[in-house]
Amino acid sequence: MYRYDEFDHAFVSERVEQFRDQVQRRLSGELAEDAFKPLRLMNGVYLQLHAYMLRIAIPYGTLSARQLRMLAHIARTYDRGYGHFTTRQNLQFNWPKLSDIPDALADLASVEMHALQTSGNCIRNVTADHFAGAAADEIADPRPYAEILRQWSSVHPEFSFLPRKFKIAVTGAERDRAAIQVHDIGLHVKKNDKGEIGFAVYVGGGQGRTPMIAKLIRDFLPEEDLLSYTTAIVRVYNLHGRRDNKYKARIKILVHETGTEELTRQVEAEFAALKDSELKLPEKDVQAIAAYFAPPALPERAEGWENLARWKKADAGFARWVQQNVQPHKNPDYGMVTISLKPIGGIPGDASDAQMDAIADLAEEYGFDEIRVSHEQNLILPHVALADLEAVYRGLVAINLAEANAGLITDIIACPGLDYCALANARSIPLAQEISRRFGNAERQAEIGELKIKISGCINACGHHHVGHIGLLGVEKKGAELYQITLGGSGDEHTSIGEIIGRGFEPDRVTDAIETIVDTYLGLRLDHSENFLAAYRRVGPQPFKTALYGSAAEAA
Amino acid sequence: MTKIWRETGFVENDPWVIETDEVKATEEQKPLLGLDELIAKADESNDVGLGVLIKPADDVRRLEPYLDRLEIVAVAFPAFNDGRAFSHASLLRQRLGYTNELRAVGDVLIDQVPLMLRVGIDSFAVTNATALKRLSENRLPAIPHHYQPAVRDADAGKGYSWRRQAKPAA
Repeated sequence: MYRYDEFDHAFVSERVEQFRDQVQRRLSGELAEDAFKPLRLMNGVYLQLHAYMLRIAIPYGTLSARQLRMLAHIARTYDRGYGHFTTRQNLQFNWPKLSDIPDALADLASVEMHALQTSGNCIRNVTADHFAGAAADEIADPRPYAEILRQWSSVHPEFSFLPRKFKIAVTGAERDRAAIQVHDIGLHVKKNDKGEIGFAVYVGGGQGRTPMIAKLIRDFLPEEDLLSYTTAIVRVYNLHGRRDNKYKARIKILVHETGTEELTRQVEAEFAALKDSELKLPEKDVQAIAAYFAPPALPERAEGWENLARWKKADAGFARWVQQNVQPHKNPDYGMVTISLKPIGGIPGDASDAQMDAIADLAEEYGFDEIRVSHEQNLILPHVALADLEAVYRGLVAINLAEANAGLITDIIACPGLDYCALANARSIPLAQEISRRFGNAERQAEIGELKIKISGCINACGHHHVGHIGLLGVEKKGAELYQITLGGSGDEHTSIGEIIGRGFEPDRVTDAIETIVDTYLGLRLDHSENFLAAYRRVGPQPFKTALYGSAAEAA
Repeated sequence: MTKIWRETGFVENDPWVIETDEVKATEEQKPLLGLDELIAKADESNDVGLGVLIKPADDVRRLEPYLDRLEIVAVAFPAFNDGRAFSHASLLRQRLGYTNELRAVGDVLIDQVPLMLRVGIDSFAVTNATALKRLSENRLPAIPHHYQPAVRDADAGKGYSWRRQAKPAA
């Protein structure tokens, strides 16, 4: 993984001191809250419902054991002993004191971490495929490009006061696990006929109150043009993005209102002027960054095959966990382990300090010191020998994080919702917990198969409900919470936005409604291999409408 | 009270005025014209030493034929969070090659001044009390390590082509 050099260390500590000065001015009253706000936001500090919230950047979701232990330390020292992993591959602490935050940031800086640009109207933490560098289907590792973009976008003098936030995601495989088509810029690393690396460039995707799928504006951008082309896009957006209405300020609205063709023309014109500037990436620099991401030397561990078969036979729980939470690695002696942060009835994405410490130990002992955060709010050990899976499983059982539900109905994404968030209209966490308990039976989950439920407590869609196979959106109606259900969304290489199925459900009825939807699916699927999304795409909404609202329901 | 600050210190007797219904340039002063006004005036005269005020929605590239007749370009920050003038400044300096005075006007706050300097703004109309105090003490909250090239001349930063390091104060 990337290691800070002197330059990075100097930059981050200068930034901490700069923010310390700003916090002091705020605490002394010299700086008003409205002027302090953009400064604290760019350092990851939000003012939430009950307290300040600190959002720590985990660039492209990659962590070392030492870094994860520091997050545990911060949870213990400055917060209430736990943290919340987010859909942006970041970590949030919900209860820090403003006066403690500069110290927490200094602690983070000691392990090459920061909270830079996890908020505010700037280029946010760049995200990437959580299986990068390990997945069997990968063309090229997306992380070197994400790291170059992370560096280039840090305290960018021209792009720190954009119309709105700006999110970039990178994937290096055909199978898109980074949801690039619902980002402001989505980059798909690929190779051309000559074997050269480049990017398909997507622009203007997003969720929120106006969900849109990104438009492909470049089929193959040469690697060396990454920064000049990105600069061109962001400059066009900075100059022309709407600033009159914050709900129409994202680049997706600019793309939509300008038209893809005209916007592409503007970007290409700007790019033509920037192409041969000092932003052009020298091959040697790309190579130098890429070298940090060279895969660990993985010794041959062929004994795992036989052991695995034996262990699976002896322990049905272990067998289920391997089946569901371990994915094929480039190296056949290894697997990629998903540590589900979705124990039945738990809070999606939460981890205690003790759990983080224990996972750091496992990563060090069995995982080549690497941990990833997935946008599905789970942790990943990307390189685990099959021969070590049993030990890892035992370690996870001991901390209650061995739920065999990756990709299943209880692997729910949920935003913090009304329990924490100042923007929310409805609770997300208690609903996720109730659904998790309702479907928590292992055999039942396995029978239902792959099904992604995503819950947002308001229209801002932090819980990605638009791309949930089943999406739940909390709204407020006449002072009461109500949940709107969408079906058929997906955030992969075949991205689709879910369709609202009908009128919403009260909190005490919504889990029953989900059960009705699931039962309807089970009754109409061709066989077990046709998952919920495929079945929905085949039959459309009507059978579900009829099941939910009776035969009187008309196709809306 | 608005003062004009440059890296050499506060400027006395600055002649440039943004005219309004109440405020007009006196004999000794000069107006910062709107973009359309500037173009009209430049087209119908041979005047040089002109000043223009670029508003956020203006297309700064329209200044291209008139650059050698401009003594000052002011770029407007109507609110600190309206960052369009950062791009105007970058385009003026890098694309159009404008070299005379480039002034930030409007909501100029101390924490934004280092970024403004990096995009080539070299003159600041400052009203905010904290900003005035800090500038008078020459205490800018700047970070000398940069991860990207910008207009302002800087040394190559250690490591990669995109890095820069602020030149030490002369």
